[in-house]
Amino acid sequence: MDFGLSREQEMLRNMVRDFAEKEIRPRTAEFAQPEGEFPFDICKKMADLGLIGLPFPKEYGGSGMGHVAYLIAIEELAKVYPGWGSHLRGFGLVPAVLEMHGTEEQKKTLLPRMIKGEILSCISGTEASGGSDVAGISTTAKREGDYYIINGRKCMITRSTITDVFLVSARTGENPRDISSILVDRNTPGFQAGRLENFISTSRTNFAGEVTLTNCKVPVSNLVGKEHRGLGAMLTGINEVGRTGGAAMLVGLAQAVLEIAVKYAKERHLYGKPLTNIQTLLFMLGDMERNVARARWLTYYAGWLLDQGKTYQEIPGEIAMCKLDASEAAINVCLKGIEILGGYGTTPEFGIISKFKSALDMIAAAGSNNISRLVMSNATVKKYS
Amino acid sequence: MSLDIVVCIKQVPDPQHFSKITLDPVKQTIRREGIPAIMNPLDRHAVEEALRLREKYAGKVTAITMGPPQAAEILQDACAMGVNDVILLSDRVFAGADSLATVYPLAAAIQKIGKFDLVICGNESVDGATQQVGPQLAELLGIPHVTYVNKIENFADGSMTVKRVIEQGYLKIHLQLPALITVVKEINEYRLPTVMAIMEATCKEITVWSNNDIHADGEKIGLDGSPTNVFGVFEQKSTRKRNMLKGTPEEVAKQAVQWLRKLEAM
Repeated sequence: MDFGLSREQEMLRNMVRDFAEKEIRPRTAEFAQPEGEFPFDICKKMADLGLIGLPFPKEYGGSGMGHVAYLIAIEELAKVYPGWGSHLRGFGLVPAVLEMHGTEEQKKTLLPRMIKGEILSCISGTEASGGSDVAGISTTAKREGDYYIINGRKCMITRSTITDVFLVSARTGENPRDISSILVDRNTPGFQAGRLENFISTSRTNFAGEVTLTNCKVPVSNLVGKEHRGLGAMLTGINEVGRTGGAAMLVGLAQAVLEIAVKYAKERHLYGKPLTNIQTLLFMLGDMERNVARARWLTYYAGWLLDQGKTYQEIPGEIAMCKLDASEAAINVCLKGIEILGGYGTTPEFGIISKFKSALDMIAAAGSNNISRLVMSNATVKKYS
Repeated sequence: MSLDIVVCIKQVPDPQHFSKITLDPVKQTIRREGIPAIMNPLDRHAVEEALRLREKYAGKVTAITMGPPQAAEILQDACAMGVNDVILLSDRVFAGADSLATVYPLAAAIQKIGKFDLVICGNESVDGATQQVGPQLAELLGIPHVTYVNKIENFADGSMTVKRVIEQGYLKIHLQLPALITVVKEINEYRLPTVMAIMEATCKEITVWSNNDIHADGEKIGLDGSPTNVFGVFEQKSTRKRNMLKGTPEEVAKQAVQWLRKLEAM
């Protein structure tokens, strides 16, 4: 058993850390502004460095360094600005689906351009009735010759106004589970990105909104995976990138909060001694470290299993566990951080509150924590049956 | 024109972890356990400048370092940035060297490499900070050198023009090649390696030379060859003392000046 990172993983971590310090930290105030243009230049730099292609094979433009490497990169970005960790994760969702379920033509034409950052993509599954209840999907895709005619409304779609290609889940049959995954270009007539949601961490860098599809006519060749079996395809992305990547993002932001709290506790004196000499607060720091370490190892373990060739169907519990644990750990760490900093804990200058907001938003992302708990619990019972 | 450039780099403790460094009161040494080691920050700028020159004029960049086997890590970093070749000088007889005993093996290795047009070093390291290695190396190689270089203006007809930072401005200096320069961080923004470059770098073979390969004079290397020795290390402790001054603003100002004079701060 070896808990150490490989040399190339270490070099990757150093490179992403350097990138985040040089390119992201000086602009965090700009990224957090509520309005303004999305900073595409950061996307391009991330793609040029090869970050989007980390888990994807060389033949489609990736590097094949692996999932653990991908999670390390997400974690490092999230330490400085959680939104960019979240974006790196998001840029990999549709490519992960295409790699596993796409046709050779789809892989050859789309994957390299997505990995280069030339095409931004996202999964569009959630509807007003909810994201977790797939049976509740009401968007339809009717087959007419060599085309699908898609009608419906999706909501909470990440980067909705700037994304180029949406992987839309739509009902294609009578059976409740007859869901297909279909690629829709934003320039398709009838496609419209509308109202943005007002999330707690919404900014010019992080936003999600509604998209409507009105008689959108897309070729059948845009179908990803088998007709009526699109849910499984979509879950590949949601699980293997969405949940593990979300966990890595949460680990990164929690690590940042821990470091802020330790620094403050060492410098701030109370009753003539630093806060670290007060056991109640000292224990909090220890517990924060415990939370971060546990979440990180569960996350890396899920990534390592994926690097061993496992699919989400084989390790649903491990994937769900890492996302659930990282979410609870990050919230716990943020709350403890706020307690240690006292009044300063919720001031924007100290940087905890913005990370706390990102942690709260992740509760519902890539399957809510309750869904993760359900998947994990079912996997547990199955494991011991 | 094609340039053969040698860049001298050094592995140092990561400055971001300097606060974790402690002193061993018995051995009189610095405890570096648990402190990550990185390429000296200014050396990254040296590598970057060499790569930019190669991109402009063609040629070859060789990075060289002296240190224990783990110093190979910074050579991998240099590979990932794009250098052509890397050489690790590693031999127990090199251990304990001061700056002069460091440049003897470096000079011998550079002479073994053969033809070179330019040697680039970082102006100083973040740990030793002597600023001696570059100039001493140039003297041993018998070539001209300029320190504190913040810009290379041009190359032409076997010579180069550089800008050297001084307190009130800069000097523009013309020097014949081969030459050595030491660079400051303002000279460039160094590149980050791409993921693919990192993967290739970890597979690249590193040439390791011992003293048997470079034949540096045994009396001039390592601890025995070092004319300077560290006799002791101590921690500088600073304490804050509060002294409330009372009176009118004029009286307080006078008292403050008196205090500062008493402390020899004025």
